[in-house]
Amino acid sequence: MSWAWFHRLGSPKSFFFWSKRWARPAFLSGLIILIVGLVWGLAFAPPDYQQGDSFRIIYIHVPAAMLAQTCYFALGVAGIVSLVWQMKIAPMFIRAVAPIGAVMAFISLVTGAIWGKTAWGTWWVWDARLTSVLVLFFLYMGIIALQNALEETALADKATAVISVVGLINLPIIKYSVVWWNTLHQGATFTLTEKPAMPVEMWLPLLIAVIGFYCMVMGLALWRMQTIILLREHRTQWVKQEVTDHGV
Amino acid sequence: MTYLTFGRTQCRVLWRRKQDTVNALLFFVMVVALFPLGINPSAAFLAPAAGGIIWCAAVLAILMAIDGIFKEDFRDGTLEQWVVCGLSLPVLMLIKVAIHWFAVVFPLLLVMPLVSEMLMLPSGSFWVLVATVLAGTPCLFLLGAIGAALTVSLKQGATLVILVILPFYLPVIIFATSAIEASQVGLPYIGFVAMLLAVSLLSLVVSPFMTAVAVKASVN
Repeated sequence: MSWAWFHRLGSPKSFFFWSKRWARPAFLSGLIILIVGLVWGLAFAPPDYQQGDSFRIIYIHVPAAMLAQTCYFALGVAGIVSLVWQMKIAPMFIRAVAPIGAVMAFISLVTGAIWGKTAWGTWWVWDARLTSVLVLFFLYMGIIALQNALEETALADKATAVISVVGLINLPIIKYSVVWWNTLHQGATFTLTEKPAMPVEMWLPLLIAVIGFYCMVMGLALWRMQTIILLREHRTQWVKQEVTDHGV
Repeated sequence: MTYLTFGRTQCRVLWRRKQDTVNALLFFVMVVALFPLGINPSAAFLAPAAGGIIWCAAVLAILMAIDGIFKEDFRDGTLEQWVVCGLSLPVLMLIKVAIHWFAVVFPLLLVMPLVSEMLMLPSGSFWVLVATVLAGTPCLFLLGAIGAALTVSLKQGATLVILVILPFYLPVIIFATSAIEASQVGLPYIGFVAMLLAVSLLSLVVSPFMTAVAVKASVN
């Protein structure tokens, strides 16, 4: 297998043109898939026999929570790539994705709180999964704060890469320490190995919403990376050419 | 410079700037004093909460102490000299963190009997508290050093270090307070102390290298 495509994507220029082709389709298809999933989930899926209609918030809550975790994992991987192979594109990825992950963690916290009010009768409980998402949110905010505080780009890139890698190693420890500490939340909704406990009319729209969320975030991330590439490479000839030809 | 002279210099610098360590200790005792004043001075509240209060105060004090460990070295150019001196930077970082750990944790342990008495910690749990401090604080220092090295070039880095590093301290706080709690109700607590040791050992593997990367990035 040839790795040429991988190295090509590592250069800001070819990544820019590649992402320019894919950002809009990814975002739009994500949007459409998400709308299908949400309309199906919110309007047509059967109500839960215990929780009634309030369970429907999972069609936003679960995808957001999954993405919050996936984004952090991706940050950690990008951090390793950035520290080990010094790929130019990796720190840009970290910078582009960190705020998206923070927003996802925030959405899952808020929707979780709203759901908790109806299901458990309280906005917040110090349960393991809630707490670990809260910690995840703190980790994201730390990375963003670090990015904004360090003005020198090279240092900011290194710093966020280091923190992302340390976070990737630490996240399982944080997760399990909190799990042993306290558990009230129901188990994972989707696992790769087991059949979901929900009926198919319930989990199918959820799956669609998850896919929609992923596509949308991918499109968003590509767009944000394009902006960062243009900013950082603004001295190069190809950026000047691109801006004069197509505008910004 | 050899590793030995490096260590000796670090000890000497720490000794001449002992006010920093004293400040951290004072801060620790003051934070501890806030809880009886702010919540409830009765033994019914304090005894079960003592372990948690002591640990939260210790974490904050350590964050305060660790924030400045590279500041002076960065300002006078010593940090650059370490990068170019030809010795292994991760080993130097490890020595430095170890010395700082000892300089803060040893006095911290000396005031431990005092604060645990003030918070009415049951006497049977005192040695568990000491064990958790010995097993858990290396992790705090090792991770904190990464944050300190990353923000060393900033004028106001202290808040940032706290923001970035505090979430990583959560497992340590959880395992430490769980151990103390378990000892108070007569459950086995060795497992929690072992977890603390494991977390500290893991950060021992990761931290010196990451701190070295951070120092190099900050110097350039």
